[in-house]
Order: sequence, then structure tokens, then C-alpha cells
Amino acid sequence: VSSPSAADRALALLASGWATPQRTAEAARAFLDAGALLDDPASARRVLEALVVRAGREAALPDAAALVRVRVRFAALGVRLHVLGEAGYPSLLAQAWPEGGAPLWLAVRAPGGSLPEGPAAAVVGTREPSLDGLRTATELGRVLARHGITVVSGLARGIDQAAHRGALEADGRTVAVLGAGFDVDYPRGTRALREEVAESGGLATELAPAAPPRPRHFLERNRIISGLADVVVVVEGRERSGALATAARAGQQGREVWAVPGSLSAPTSEGPLALIRDGATLLTSFDELVPAVLAAAARRGAAPPPPGSGAATATDDPATAARTGHDHTSHDHGGGVPPPGLSAPAARLLALLGAVPATGGALAGAAGLPLPVVLSALAELTARDLAVATHRGYVRG
Amino acid sequence: MVARARTVALVGLEPALVTVEAHYGAGLPGLHVLGASGTAAREAADRVRTALQAAGVSLPLRKGILSLAPAELPKQGARFDLAMALALAEEAGAVPGGALDGTAAIGELALDGRVRGVGGVLPSMRALPRAGIGRVLVADEAAAEAELLGGTRVVPVRHLGEALALLRGEQPPRAVPRPPSEPARRTIPDLADVRGQLEARRGLELAAAGGHHLLLVGPPGCGKSMLAQRLPGLLPPLDRAAALDVAAIRSILGVVDPDGPLLDDRPPFRAPHHTTTAAALLGGGSGVALPGELSRAHRGVLFLDELFEWPRPLLEALREPLEDGVVRLARSRAAVRYPARALLVCAANPCPCGGGDRCGCAEEQVLRYRARLSGPLADRLDLAPTVEPLTAGDLLEEAPGEPTAVVAARVRAARALAEERWGSGARNSEAPASEVRRTADRRALRVLADALERGELTGRGFDRALRVARTVADLEGASTVGIDHAREALAHRLPLRSAASTPLGAGT
Repeated sequence: VSSPSAADRALALLASGWATPQRTAEAARAFLDAGALLDDPASARRVLEALVVRAGREAALPDAAALVRVRVRFAALGVRLHVLGEAGYPSLLAQAWPEGGAPLWLAVRAPGGSLPEGPAAAVVGTREPSLDGLRTATELGRVLARHGITVVSGLARGIDQAAHRGALEADGRTVAVLGAGFDVDYPRGTRALREEVAESGGLATELAPAAPPRPRHFLERNRIISGLADVVVVVEGRERSGALATAARAGQQGREVWAVPGSLSAPTSEGPLALIRDGATLLTSFDELVPAVLAAAARRGAAPPPPGSGAATATDDPATAARTGHDHTSHDHGGGVPPPGLSAPAARLLALLGAVPATGGALAGAAGLPLPVVLSALAELTARDLAVATHRGYVRG
Repeated sequence: MVARARTVALVGLEPALVTVEAHYGAGLPGLHVLGASGTAAREAADRVRTALQAAGVSLPLRKGILSLAPAELPKQGARFDLAMALALAEEAGAVPGGALDGTAAIGELALDGRVRGVGGVLPSMRALPRAGIGRVLVADEAAAEAELLGGTRVVPVRHLGEALALLRGEQPPRAVPRPPSEPARRTIPDLADVRGQLEARRGLELAAAGGHHLLLVGPPGCGKSMLAQRLPGLLPPLDRAAALDVAAIRSILGVVDPDGPLLDDRPPFRAPHHTTTAAALLGGGSGVALPGELSRAHRGVLFLDELFEWPRPLLEALREPLEDGVVRLARSRAAVRYPARALLVCAANPCPCGGGDRCGCAEEQVLRYRARLSGPLADRLDLAPTVEPLTAGDLLEEAPGEPTAVVAARVRAARALAEERWGSGARNSEAPASEVRRTADRRALRVLADALERGELTGRGFDRALRVARTVADLEGASTVGIDHAREALAHRLPLRSAASTPLGAGT
């Protein structure tokens, strides 16, 4: 009997759901504590074997029938499973092994079966951005994609989706890392967008096809988003937010972190401003990011780097290292908890309002609400001083 | 003996029957005109005498007197020539006595006896049936216009000689000449051409449905004029009476379009430039004032582009006529009224530099610029949608524009509800405030009252916002004005308040 391949082991662990990133990290640490070197991604195979043994001991491995079901499902979806240290696994992500938290496997649905290897930038931010934040993310997506840079994000509503859409509008490449399995319609209502992204750069996840969306999945996904990017840019987010968690992981992985500044009085600016205070690079124009991404990509070489090319030796970004303590399971709500007594449309619009004036028409488009409803809600917010009508549009009160 | 002919004078749009009496008596040969002043009378006398000679009428070598009565009526222009010539002809025996009974004549004479059309024939016709006059002689080119009102037999005449032959019974009257083909209807551009612009579209719809005045704010080139030009297409076609009113104003200005339909049921659209004088905008002229652009836009749309470039006194002068629906013009010889029930659409840049994404205007500059929109005029505008620069559509996909026909159908339905409530032809913008309040629920009134307390509405603004809310409710088919209707109406006014007085530093 031939011993099972690394891909078989990975599939078994993926299907089991037992080998969480925490357990993987624990296993890796055991090797390191024992004095083993894990710098080479190929060494990941030893961790994989150890995990299979442990899972077997705890009777957590799925039976053969379950494995076949997953294999068939992946085949039907056009998903390939890539194992760390083997061809097809994204080389940039492999550099985040082991301390950066590179997953031992990655299920990928992409043209050609693997994710693009060229220069990449992650655009992340709150799920409840202001209209200005949405515009910024879309424009960043456009500008990056136009320069051949892959736009990586998490497909969450708000900033993530805007960045994906911007890249798609520019006919560029964009990659989404999912927070749920391939078989789960999440985020709901984004099936069309997911298809477009899959055909552009690709979809990726370490989760089993039926894995439901869970808060911890989103946090774990963040390390893959930053791991797939040369540079991470945070558009909007509160101080305790998923976007900041991504920036923190990016720091651990040695990725450059950029932040888009915002008004002191907008809650959506808290995250980027804190990052800037702690040393992240301040983005002052849309074009500025492009040379930074290209330079970072050039440093790692155009071709996939040879194993052990020392990504793990990159120093942590001091900016984000300071914030690594903030690892939250809460989702990122840019607007925070709406004040009581607001109508549903008013609460929705409040989240969209920021320091940059937004017109009723633009807000209606962004919120997906009819204009009369939007205008009525804006009057409601204005009456409670939650919004102010300026001659350029509405801003947060 | 005294011969009499009838004609019509116009004071503003008001016609008045004028009797022309002719008499030859003892005295030095000559022709004296009474009842008309100055050079106009002298000129008329010379024209009439020469034209009569050209028509083969030899006048007695005695003193001729022509009297135009009532004498106190201001009489301008050459429109009395034909009647004066006919009265003299009868007095001279060139037509049988009594041939002019029940007949009026309106027209200018050329020296060779040709009859020329004059302005204002259409409104003049109103005076004839009520004076028991059943026949009118007019120039060929004015004949079709004279027939519009009906009730009077219109006889076209090309030459004074033809008129005399008709009156002598030597030749039958000709038919009124018709244009060779039905003139093309003026086309109004369609809203389907407009992409996006949710706010402006909503503004146009409300303006059309309720008769509320509108201010379009947006950077240059974003399509403000394009939007305004499409508003007449949303208004219901003019009924006969309204179309006659509009035609009458064009008629006294002598601007009846020879290629257009005589009676146009499309609401007019007037877009005077901001260098227009007060006389041209509101009406004016010496002696008796003529109507201006405001009255030419009666029952239609008056579009003032570059609102902040208009002189402030001119804008202030618009307030009262817009409120009353008539413009009153007093000049040396008469005080006249012209209808002015126009929908006002203004357009303005958001700031001195024109605005747009890269606007570098300081907050204070913008406020000074906007202060040109005086509070009182701002108070008479009800809707101030923002017109987006064209690139804004890039961000979010926007459905192709709704065509005019669809929006116009909603407007028709809403207007029908308003007319059911206030009476035929009445619009929400003109409805009595107390009556509108009665159709609003308490929470809706509370929303507006709160805004009044917060200083976002003036007392006048309160009622105007309520009328807009009434229109919002009508467009929805709701019988009661609810809280959301009131809030939307308020939101339409908020930019106007910031136009008039935004405190500095409110932009956070």
C-alpha cells in the first residue's frame, strides 16, 4: 500500500474541519520547539503528517465516502487543492510560512487552476463604509488593476466588494478569499460577483465546501488576504475591526501596510488613522500605491521564488506589530450601533455618511434604496442632527 | 353725413371696440385725425389718403375729419388704417351707405393700398362677438389667426381695392388661405436621454406634478439645461383656453411662428439669457407695456440659467408675479396685466469655480456666492436637486433613463388627484395653505413644525414645503400627507436653506 499523497492528507484534514489554523500553528510550534527548522515550505509536509496522525488519534478524520464526496464536489466546482510546498500553491503566500500563518492547503477556483503570481495588493476595509470610502476603494481597484496589479480582498460588502468591482471595471485581475466554503452562498446575493471574480483572478479558501460563515473564519481568512498581497491598503474601518486585524497580520507577514486618511470626526477613519499613527504609510494619491506594489513584487522576483527564499526573515512592520494584540471576533461595522428610534433606511444611510459630502442621488445608488425613501431618511437624520445638509451634499452630523 | 367703421384697439391683452367716424365738411382741404395722439395720427392720415388714391377713390376737396372713439383709449400702431380708409370711402361715396354695418376691419395700409397684417389680431377678436359684430376684414396673413377664436366671419383682403369691391358687392369674399401642409409639432426632447440624475429627475417630476419652482444645482456641463428642456414634456398638453392665452401673447408681440402650428398645445419653454433687461424679462416699453419673457412662458417653463449671474433686483422683481400668476406693468399711458403662470426653473453652479470634484473654493467664498440667491427668492423655490457631474455614474451602475411618457403618466395621475381636490386646473402649489394642512396627518405637520423651530424653514417655507409634501403624496396616490412625504419635501428644501444661510463650519 503506497502512503497517501500530501494532497490526500490535506483533503482529509480540510474535510474534517479539525485542523484549524490554531491547531496547525500549535503543531508547527512543537516542531520549532524541538529545534526543527521550518523555513522551507517543503517542511510543511512534516507538519501536515503530524496533524493527520493527531487527527487520526482523536478519531476526527472523515471516512472514505466523505472524502469522495468532497473530491467530487471540488471537481464539479472546478476547484483545485494546492498544498504548501508544492507547485500551484501561491508562492507569495508560501513566504508566510510558518510564523505568518500560511495555510497548509488552499482550495482554489481560478482560470488555469491557480491564482495569479504577479504583483498583488490587498484592499480591505469596513463593511459599512461611507460613500467616499466606497468611491476610494473602487478607484483603488481600478487604478491597481489598470497597472496589472492583482487586487486581493475578502468579498465582504462595503470596501471589499467595491475594490473587486473597481478591478473588474478596469478589466483587471482580482482575487477573493472566501470566509465560507465554496458551496455556501455567502455573502448572500453576491453570486454574480463571485462568478466574475472567479473568472478574473480566482476564489480561494482553506475551508471545506460546506463550511458555514463563522466570525472566526473571517479573521482566519484575513491572514490569507494579506499573505496573497505584496502590499495591504486599509481604506476605512473602526479602531477595533477586521480591517485592522488584516493589517496586523500583514505586519507579521512582512507586508507593507498603507492607510487612507480620513476626517477626525468620522468613526470610519479611526482604523486608518491609528495605523498611520503607528507607522503605516499614508496614502496621498491613487497613483502612489502602484510603484510601491511593483517595487515590493520586484524584490521577491517575477518568477515564483525558490523554496526557502526567506520571506520569514522579513522584519515585522512596526506599525502593525503594535496592533497585533487586537484580534477581534467582532465584525467591522463602520457606523457602530445606530442611535435608537431611527427608521431602517435612516440607519442604513447613517452608516454611509461620512466627512465627504454625499448627494441624495449618490446615496440612493449606494444604499440600493429609492430616492424618495433616501430623501425622507435624510430629513429624518438632519432633524436629529445626525446629518448635516451642506451645499455639496450630506455629511455626518 | 358721417360714415362709421369699426375696429379694435388693444391695451395689453384687453381688446376695446373703436368706432372710426369720417366726415367731410367746410374748410381747407386736408385730413385731421382726432382721438389719436401725435405723430401716429399724422402718419396714419397720410398713409390712408395715399392708399385710397391708389385704390382709385378720389377724396372730396374739403376738410376731412376722422375721429377715433373712445378718445381716451391709448392707440398705438397702424392697426386702425384699414377702418379709417373704409370710413372715408363710405363718406366719399365709394361704397354704399350701410355696407360697413356689422363689420370691423383690422389692418395696416401700405401706400399702394396693400393691406398688411398687424400683431394682436387674436386677442382683438374677443371684442367683436360681444359688440354684435359678425364680420371682420383682416390681411391675408392674419386671417387664420383671426379665425382661431371662432364666432366671427373672417374675410381676408389683400388690397384696399379688394375690400372696397367686396363691400360694393362686386366680388365674393375669398376663403381664408391655409398653409399647404399641416405644420410640424414642435418636439420636446425626451427624458430617456438623461442617464442617472435621480435627484434631478425626481425634482422635475414633482415640479411638473405640483407646479413647484425648481433650482438645479450642479457643475457646468453636467446637463442642467438638458434637464430643464425636458420639463415641458412632463407637463400636460395645454387645453384650448390655455393654448389661446399663449397664442394671444405671441400674437401681440407679432411673433406668431409662420412654420409652427397656430394653436400649440405644447407648453412653452423660454430661456432668456442673464443679460436680459427687466423690460425684456417682465415686460415693458413706453406708453403701454408689452409682455416679456415671463409672460411668454405663461403655462410653460421659464428657465433662468446661471442664476447667480442674474442681477439681484431682477430676481427680486420676479417674486411677486410668480406668486400672483400675473405681472402688472404701469406705464405713462396705461397700466396693463399680463398672465405669468410659469413654472420657474433655475440653474446654478455650486460655487464660483463651477464646482466638481476638484473644487478648490474656500467655504466662505462659496457662501458669499450663494448669498446672491436672496432669501425671499429662495423661499419661493421649492425643490433644489443636485445635478451630478457626468462621471458620477461610473461608480454605480445606473439603469437607463425612464422615458418622458412614463413619468408624464405619473404626473397626469397626480394632477388628476390634485384637481379632484382643488378644482379643475388647480395645482398643489397654488392651493390654499389651510386646506392643504387639513389633508396632512399630525406627525407630518410635526416634522415641518420641528423644522420651523430649528430655523430650517421660514413661515412661508412651512406652507410651501407642505404643498410639496402634498404632491409627493399625490404621486404615491395617498390621500393623506404622511410623515415620509413631509420629510421628503423637507429634504428638497434643505439645500435651499444652505444656499441662503449655512453657518460656517457646518460641514463636519
